[in-house]
Amino acid sequence: MTAGHAHHDGGVPTWPWAALLPLAAFLALVWGLARHDLPWHLTLPWVPSLGVELAFRVDGLSALMLLLVTGIGALVFVYADGYLEHEPRRGRLFLLLALFMLAMVGAVSADHLLVLFLFWELTSLLSFLLVGFNHEDARARAGARQALFITLGGGLALLAGFLLLAQMAGSWSLREVIAQGPALAQDPRLPAALVLVMIGAFTKSAQFPFHFWLPNAMAAPTPVSAYLHSATLVKLGIYLLARLDPAFNDLPLWEIGLIGTGALTAVWAAALALRERDLKRILARTTVAALGTLTLLVGLPNPGAGLAVVAFLFAHALYKAPLFMVAGNIDHATGTRVIDHLMGLRRAMPWTAAVAILAGLSMAGLPLSFGFVAKDVVSVAKADADLINLVSYSLVAVNAVAVAVAGVAAIRVFWGTAEHPLGRIREVSWKMLLPPLVITLVGLEAEFLPDLNAPLLIAAAQAVSPGAVFEVSASYQFGSLLTATEITLALGLVLFLAWDRLHRAWRRLLWLDRHGPAAGFEHLLHAIPRLAAWLTRHLQHGRLAGYARLTLVALLALGAAAWLLDAPGWPAALATPAQGAAWLVASLLILAGAGAAVLLRDRLALLMASGLVGYGSAVLFLFAGAPDLAFTQFAVETVLVVVAAAVLPHFRRQSPELSEPRLRNGLIALAAGLGSLALLLSLEARPLDPALSDWFARTSLPEAHGRNVVNVIIVDFRALDTLGEIAVVAFSLLAALPLLAGLRNRGAGT
Amino acid sequence: MTPRSILLARAVPPLYWLMLAAAAWILLRGHNEPGGGFIGGLVAVAASAAVAIVLGEAAARRRMPRPPLELAVLGVLLAGLAGLPGALAGQPYLTHLWWGVDLGIAELKLSTVMLFDLGVFCAVWGTLTAYLLALLPEAAKEEGT
Repeated sequence: MTAGHAHHDGGVPTWPWAALLPLAAFLALVWGLARHDLPWHLTLPWVPSLGVELAFRVDGLSALMLLLVTGIGALVFVYADGYLEHEPRRGRLFLLLALFMLAMVGAVSADHLLVLFLFWELTSLLSFLLVGFNHEDARARAGARQALFITLGGGLALLAGFLLLAQMAGSWSLREVIAQGPALAQDPRLPAALVLVMIGAFTKSAQFPFHFWLPNAMAAPTPVSAYLHSATLVKLGIYLLARLDPAFNDLPLWEIGLIGTGALTAVWAAALALRERDLKRILARTTVAALGTLTLLVGLPNPGAGLAVVAFLFAHALYKAPLFMVAGNIDHATGTRVIDHLMGLRRAMPWTAAVAILAGLSMAGLPLSFGFVAKDVVSVAKADADLINLVSYSLVAVNAVAVAVAGVAAIRVFWGTAEHPLGRIREVSWKMLLPPLVITLVGLEAEFLPDLNAPLLIAAAQAVSPGAVFEVSASYQFGSLLTATEITLALGLVLFLAWDRLHRAWRRLLWLDRHGPAAGFEHLLHAIPRLAAWLTRHLQHGRLAGYARLTLVALLALGAAAWLLDAPGWPAALATPAQGAAWLVASLLILAGAGAAVLLRDRLALLMASGLVGYGSAVLFLFAGAPDLAFTQFAVETVLVVVAAAVLPHFRRQSPELSEPRLRNGLIALAAGLGSLALLLSLEARPLDPALSDWFARTSLPEAHGRNVVNVIIVDFRALDTLGEIAVVAFSLLAALPLLAGLRNRGAGT
Repeated sequence: MTPRSILLARAVPPLYWLMLAAAAWILLRGHNEPGGGFIGGLVAVAASAAVAIVLGEAAARRRMPRPPLELAVLGVLLAGLAGLPGALAGQPYLTHLWWGVDLGIAELKLSTVMLFDLGVFCAVWGTLTAYLLALLPEAAKEEGT
């Protein structure tokens, strides 16, 4: 079609058939919608023991999202094929996009809370991979990581919220939870659940104060931005809020949370849009503003708001995706997206300019566009809602910024005369023109043939506001509403004309860069490794005496806590030992070992003394009815003493342990001893539940054919634990051997 | 490492086999009397340690049935495999099976428990001996500097 398509690099295969997958899904969906009434159900068993099943339910709202996901998906595939013409890793991008589409389809049609959560997190993960597609670029990596942290963190909150909701409703079904919603209002757990769910949705849909990941995700390839950051991923949070709205509409927490957050997000993002010079980032800021408006609309209590939500959601997807593609086309043709360098492109890129004008009309909400209808519906909803004036006025300002940005994207860069001409620019290939054109034409069609879309939009709106009656009309009723439109347009025009001056003024507000939420997040990220380093320095210092001291102090603290909580008396059992002589011998052995350890200075002798303590304990076990424990203790003690005795003489006498402050360490040891005594006494004072040991003693022989209960527990009753333990022991060796070999090599080097 | 004492160097090889026999005996009797794979494994480690200290790391390594690391991994695998027959028989994993073999004079009881305990034995013996042998030569090097 155009000259840009002429050269083809030999090595890079094209993927014309890749778009067939989303296209087929889209066509199947349209066919299904034409043939079968909504809602559709599908339930497959998955983990029956946990009550988890792959339950899906498609109603009007889901169908609208599905059409956007598959329809825009098909066009984005075509666009990406043109945009990444010379990219050798195109196959990877198509695979990720297809997986992302699948995750979105699952998320917007799931009826089981856990299944919804699963697909929700999948979209976050795939978004990470897609934003970081150009992984050689540090900005792409940083943007991808930020988006991942925020959306996955929000996902955890969402999971907690879902768990609470499921507990309260006694069902995992989303529909069941919504049906029970109003009845749950008395439950004291509901506020926590709602706040958690809202955090999850707000992170996904880039609401204040989590909004900053979206502009930073603009490091993604443009097809990804057009798909994820205008039409699908970021709408998922709105979708969930709209889905839950019928249940919690009446709660002040829900209403105030959504309206407040939405209004704040919209105003903040619109204001920051003026600080940007990069066309894509400007568009991203207005996307955040639109998402804020949508959140606000969901929060409106009146039933008419449902239609406003779905109409604006639909309209926004239909103009923002093409505008992103326009930005991509400009970037592709000129190599820059900074609006200062872009002027008068209409001659070189007439088709892109035409698309931009059509999409810009819709964004500005001018007549002859679906954006106009959407804005009309939105104003009606707001007028009905009896909003606080402040919120109303701020939304006018937000819309004015949208008008100004539409002017920048559609007029400024294509008209006007460039101060520094960019050299030879050629229009992009048909693959990059057809998709945005088709999407904007759908927008026009929605305006002129409302009957085609009205049933779908009304079905979607009824999912948000059940019971309400809607009608969509291409209303040219120039009535009282027009004044609001006129004011918005006039204000937008002023903003558009004063763009550069405003921009310079805003740029000077540097504190925003230093203290905004984005900066706060970066500080947090840097604080984590610093905290880890501090902890490591103070806990993992490599001095054995320090470790021992810390352990003993912890023991002391435990004992003190046990004593303070419940001071036990002196148990009667300890006063009269059953086998006096044996206990006496064992105690004498232990005391002799401990005393020798305190007095002796030679390391080998110290080792022997500590071994004596071990043997004494073994004797104690032997006569306390634990022969196995005694046996093990003897074996361990012997191996330890022998090995240590073999190794010790080879180390030079440089151990700082011997120059440790003896008095302080002695006091700590004494206190820790008293602490463990307190711990033991308080344990002894509590009645021991013998149920488990009785059961083991009773069943050991008949069920496991063994009289040695300890061994039977190890190899039979608790065999899985044992398997885990020996696996850990063996794995520790795998980790330690290279370290020890490294030490040895270093020793050999010196 | 050169042997430091002729007496020890002479005494250790038979002592090694004696200790291993004791270890095997402890392993086998473990299900009914004090003992078992863990304690038996520790005794075997003591045997290997004695050889390593007196005759050197290489001698201890040579006398092991497999290299220590391999022995440890084999032990874990063996213990894991011991659970499979039960699972194949339709019961939960690690459910042990028992077979009685009539020898005429007495009934010999065979079971997957034995296999499991042997796995524990090998894992303990292999892992701790590997640690021991990795530490010992370093000590020798330290002496040389």
